[in-house]
Amino acid sequence: MGPRNIFIAAVAVTAIAFGTWLSFKVASPPPVPQVATVLPVPGELPEFSLLDHNGNPVGRDVFKGHWNLVFFGFTHCPDICPLTLQVLSSAKNQLAGDGFTPLPRIVLVSVDPERDTPESLAQYVAYFGDDNLGITGDLTQLLKLTNGLGIFFEKTAGDAENYSVDHSAVVLVINPDGQFNALFGAPHEAENFVHDLPIIMSQQ
Amino acid sequence: MKRILPVLILALLGCACSQESAPLVASDVVVSKPKPGMNVTAGYLTLSSHASQPIVITQVASPQFESVEMHESVIEDGMARMYPLGGLTVPAKSSVVFQPGGKHLMLLRPVGEFDTVSLDFYAGKAVVLTVNVALSD
Repeated sequence: MGPRNIFIAAVAVTAIAFGTWLSFKVASPPPVPQVATVLPVPGELPEFSLLDHNGNPVGRDVFKGHWNLVFFGFTHCPDICPLTLQVLSSAKNQLAGDGFTPLPRIVLVSVDPERDTPESLAQYVAYFGDDNLGITGDLTQLLKLTNGLGIFFEKTAGDAENYSVDHSAVVLVINPDGQFNALFGAPHEAENFVHDLPIIMSQQ
Repeated sequence: MKRILPVLILALLGCACSQESAPLVASDVVVSKPKPGMNVTAGYLTLSSHASQPIVITQVASPQFESVEMHESVIEDGMARMYPLGGLTVPAKSSVVFQPGGKHLMLLRPVGEFDTVSLDFYAGKAVVLTVNVALSD
């Protein structure tokens, strides 16, 4: 084989290798969320007037400028609520460890505004990490938000001090435009958020 | 014989008890400190029975909390619900697990400052198990 033939063979091998690589690259589908349901069209939030954990009035614009992971729960909930907030906190820490930015903000909307004051929420949400947001306030205003998002909650039997609240267990993703973007159904696992959230955020 | 039978049963039970260290034992006990500003927390553990008969736990009490309740969290149709467990049956020679997202002890209104929690498990009026555990973060 002369130098000319060697050159042709080398070009052919290179072309085949490049073609194979390109076909794999083109054929690989983009990653899709494993657990989260992404809304085909992000939904606008209803208007509402509640309080953040510092006692400041907040409306739907409070979600803007952040990727928000929003859970509806209450501070007297001993099991599911701290468990879910720990899962979200763990997912956020894992994303931070991976160098992922921007990190989502964890938001707890209280479904027990009778007992959850801004002060109690402030201590509670801070326990699960920095930059978390707590929202509470007037029940009528709360219902505007929850009804608009398909969130249901119901106080269960008990006395004035000792009662529980059944509540939707989903975690909602609200995008930096303040729109309802996706949701994660329960039970929640940190790795689902670590896997799906960057995909959801990249589709924005 | 009718009079002797109960005595024989008691004697046999006594033999069984002397062979086992205790009819009911607890493992993997975790009671978290109440979250800041909160007067409620949860307890988790595994109850294992060596008894040949089921043991029904009717109540749990603690000197460190005004009230202790047995609950079960469930996710039903996307809703997080919590049901009180009226009584808890630990089947013979079997275990019942209290774990996050499932059965748990709800400990309400701590009394004073403390680092260790004592839990008394009642079957009727009898305390069948006492567990001491350091509070975890």
